[in-house]
Amino acid sequence: MPPVRLDVRFMQAAEWLHAEARRIRKPLLLSAGLTALQALLLVVQAWVLAEILSVSLWDHAPWSSLWRQWLSLFLLASVRAMLQMRARGIAFDASQDVGARLRMHLLSRVQALGVLGLRSQASGALITGLVDGVDTVLPYFARYLPGAITAVLVPTIVIACTLPADWISGVVLILSAPMIPLFMVLVGNAAERASHERFDQLRRLGRSFVDVLGGLTTLRQLGAAWRVADQLESEGEDYRRLSMQVLRIAFLSSLVLEFFATVSIAVVAVLIGFRLLWGEIHFQEGMFVLLLAPELYLPLRALGGLRHARMEAVAAIQGLQTVDGVFATPATAGTETVQCVHSGAELPEIEFRGVRFAHAGRPLLLDGIDLQIGRGLIALVGESGSGKSTLLDMLLGFATPMTGKILVNGVDFQTLDMFQWRARVAWVPQQPHVFDLSLRENLLLADPGAGSDRLDRALADSGLDAVASRLPSGMDTRLGENGLGLSGGELQRLALARALLRESADLWLFDEPTAHLDAESARSIGRLIRAAAASRTVLMVAHRLDAVMTADRVVVLHGGKVVESGAPRALLKSGGRFAVLAGTEMMG
Amino acid sequence: MIWPQSSVFRRLFDLLGVHRAWLWAGAALAVSATLSGIALMAVSGWFITAMALAGASAMAINYFTPAAVIRGLAIVRSGARYGDRLITHEATLRTLASLRAWLFRRLIPLAPDQISMWRTGELMARLRSDVDALEHFYLSVLVPTAVAVAATILVSSLMAATLPTALPVLVAIAVLAGLILPLWAKRAAAEDATAAVATSSRLRGLMLDLLRGYGELLACGAASGQAERIKLLDGRLAVHRRHVERIQALGSAISGMLAQLAVIFVLSIGLVAVRSGALSSPLLTMLVLLSVTLFESLATLPEALAHWHATQASAERVFQIVDSEPKVREPAEPAVVASMPDIRFEKVRMRYANETFWALDGVDLEVRAGSRVAVVGASGAGKSSLINVLQKLYLPQSGRVILGGKPLDQLRGDDVRRKIAVIAQQTTLFDRSLLENFLLAAPEASDAQIHRAVRVAQLDDFVAALPLGYDTVLGDGGSAVSGGEARRIAIARALLQDAPVLLLDEPTEGLDARTADSLYASLNEAAKSRTLLLITHRLGGLARLVDEVVVMGFGRIIERLPVADYLAREAAQF
Repeated sequence: MPPVRLDVRFMQAAEWLHAEARRIRKPLLLSAGLTALQALLLVVQAWVLAEILSVSLWDHAPWSSLWRQWLSLFLLASVRAMLQMRARGIAFDASQDVGARLRMHLLSRVQALGVLGLRSQASGALITGLVDGVDTVLPYFARYLPGAITAVLVPTIVIACTLPADWISGVVLILSAPMIPLFMVLVGNAAERASHERFDQLRRLGRSFVDVLGGLTTLRQLGAAWRVADQLESEGEDYRRLSMQVLRIAFLSSLVLEFFATVSIAVVAVLIGFRLLWGEIHFQEGMFVLLLAPELYLPLRALGGLRHARMEAVAAIQGLQTVDGVFATPATAGTETVQCVHSGAELPEIEFRGVRFAHAGRPLLLDGIDLQIGRGLIALVGESGSGKSTLLDMLLGFATPMTGKILVNGVDFQTLDMFQWRARVAWVPQQPHVFDLSLRENLLLADPGAGSDRLDRALADSGLDAVASRLPSGMDTRLGENGLGLSGGELQRLALARALLRESADLWLFDEPTAHLDAESARSIGRLIRAAAASRTVLMVAHRLDAVMTADRVVVLHGGKVVESGAPRALLKSGGRFAVLAGTEMMG
Repeated sequence: MIWPQSSVFRRLFDLLGVHRAWLWAGAALAVSATLSGIALMAVSGWFITAMALAGASAMAINYFTPAAVIRGLAIVRSGARYGDRLITHEATLRTLASLRAWLFRRLIPLAPDQISMWRTGELMARLRSDVDALEHFYLSVLVPTAVAVAATILVSSLMAATLPTALPVLVAIAVLAGLILPLWAKRAAAEDATAAVATSSRLRGLMLDLLRGYGELLACGAASGQAERIKLLDGRLAVHRRHVERIQALGSAISGMLAQLAVIFVLSIGLVAVRSGALSSPLLTMLVLLSVTLFESLATLPEALAHWHATQASAERVFQIVDSEPKVREPAEPAVVASMPDIRFEKVRMRYANETFWALDGVDLEVRAGSRVAVVGASGAGKSSLINVLQKLYLPQSGRVILGGKPLDQLRGDDVRRKIAVIAQQTTLFDRSLLENFLLAAPEASDAQIHRAVRVAQLDDFVAALPLGYDTVLGDGGSAVSGGEARRIAIARALLQDAPVLLLDEPTEGLDARTADSLYASLNEAAKSRTLLLITHRLGGLARLVDEVVVMGFGRIIERLPVADYLAREAAQF
């Protein structure tokens, strides 16, 4: 079964490449036209060269009588160079257009996937596709396609022009030239499949190399590092042995090409020689054919070297196809947004009514949530996977209830203007992202207009000031990918500082804001949140009992429903679900 | 700068030298394939002219020999080309296998201290492409260069023998087209090429940020702005690339034109020589065809040169990394680690870089064999640094660690780590099957041992629910499993090491309270006969697992007290 699926994906990838090629048909045709013109000039050039030789050697013509030929050789050389340059440039520009379109398409798919889609694991393929894949696809359009067109055009033109000059050589070339593609198809089909497999294998080998490099420290700790080094070597050796078995056959196609190319040149040369001896043809025609014959095979040979570009492109597209519907035309979204409603200025009173939700292809996560949230600190508790974070996602507009609705001050959440709504929300996600920017810019994302006094306060309140003073360039240190050098706790402080900068936000959504902090820091952050809740609606997902106990109200999620809700101490006494959860977390 | 730096070149050469025989054989075959092709055209040209002359003057001519030579060359060329492709690939694949293992072996002693700065995916990917470049050094730099040089020598010597007056100009044009023009193109495009690299890496960062931080960008109302910036930068990148491409195309167009001019030049000089009787007509045709084919074999040089520049940069980066001397030295005559070692830190001071804070600032700590100690303290108090020093992964700047009565510097790091199983904060899962991940820690582990470790780590339900069971592949960095599952897989793996000392850094991270409790209970069983060092800030269930608590703060041991006392005091505070 799996090989069949692989083939389908391969076909789809090849089809996508063809469709894109059709979209840039015009420039490709223009480029092909210039190539054909260039090939015609090549023929003329060979003719003129043969003429000069013939006329000088046989007719002993004086130099001066040949000035037209010499001049045209110079002109032909320059015009051909210009045509080649132009043809190449046109194909390159067309490939850049494909690249830009592909990247923008992927970008729009990213936005269509949304936050939840991106969090799913298929996004790994999207990231590599968007970041590296596009560049891998382009040589197919810039080099492989023009090369393939040239490999058809030039031999045709060369043969067509040889025939009238010397039909016997023409026939030899005709016999050899189509044999080459034929044999290359016969031998090459098997070879191409084999080389695709090899190519996949090589990529796997590369991935596994990066994988063990990334975990080198762990490997040392496991005492496995030297063993893995031996493994790398033997894997490489296995790969080599397998590949060479395949290559011995695969390279037969190049042997066939080489054989036909050189032997037919040899045959043409020998036949011309004998007919010259017998006086059956003129030297000029013989020389002309001999000059042209190798030109027939040059583009075919070059195409062999470009096959790699095609394989890389197909592989990159296949990689992208693991993201669902990535090549589907985006649905005309946005039509259903009848009107965007301003959420109003007063403190948000939020009501969940019978909200049900499931992630794509997963069992029901929320099964009828009824919940009212207003001013104060509300702690959301429940076992991992009970849907606490999903409630926050809904209030951010990342997830939409399947049934039921959310009301904000009586207005349906679906009709809210999301841009305006999110402006009044501050959010500390469970796994904050550090942007490839300086620390200062990372903070200013939350509020580009924040002055230095507010920045300083947010730094101090979140405990990030100690981190900032430790960094080599302080606030202007570029943090780089994955927040180079920041620990889990420091990441969390960064997210907290971002949230604190959104002073005007009146809805705070905190997803385990102190999970990675030590007890002392957690307490001080807790006090901060407590104080903020006096004038805001704060919804906090929490695992730690001490944090939960400071809440005005605890909401317990279990089995997709709100099973308990009330003041923490009262709930603890009532001995319900919360008491069970708290019991497992109680100290000592 | 422009010309190959000899030291890098020589080192690369030495590096590939293991497979010297294959490399030479491949290059020799490639050269003979090209040379026989050139000879084929030359002999053919000579042959048809000689035949035409004989035909015109009705002279007798020995046509058997040249005709046989032509056919022979055709066959030699086909065979040599096949052998060339086969052997050069063999050589490349041999290089690939040995080069990766070589690099990996050189990096082992440097991890994590001296390579922590490139642990992230992006830099890792760059290292991989650097190694790729080194692997292709032979096929895309050495072989084409050898072929071009051999072709030039062959054609020049034939030219020197027959038409010496044309030689200097021909060689000059060959050097111009094959070497100087590509170098000029590189220099002319340098500014745009550098800008393109910088833009591309910036674009990469922006896109990663968009994909991974999409939620936060939306929440901050900055998502569409980010997309706009990406579009803008993408446009700018296209402009830079277009400029580079234009210059390269121009360079190759001029090269092509020069090649045709060279043919015209040889023809005109040759005709003069023929007229004066210094050169025969068949030889003139031969020389014309020789010049045509010479420039065909020079056409690969610009690309080889570009590859060389890329290889050089890659090689410099790779050599720079592997050349760094491991800071943690291994003793020449290592002592033997005791089977149940006591652990003692004596006034240990350690920091990760000069001028930063002391991660460990004079730590004195003794952990007797078989005792169970928890280390608690604020984040950044130095808890994880204890592991790093104890495992001989980092060297303390002063003080010493004594394991089983022997200072660490008398012990081999590998022996030390065999005695201390660790779950660190950044413990990595590998993109292999669950079973293979376990076998990394203990290649000889039996099924029963693995089942036991899985049970202790509270993983049995998880494994039973997997459709592929132990054959489930864990994905890139363990991405196919949740954070809590990854933690427990790491615990099972560490348990399989069967070391007398167990060092667990936040083993319950990502677990809900109930799972964490049962994990503590089963760890309690499993650690019965071992020394247990537990780093945590989870206090629930602590009393069941350890006897003592060590409180750390700012790189120092603040106090050490029985677990009951510590918990009582904490409870009172709350």
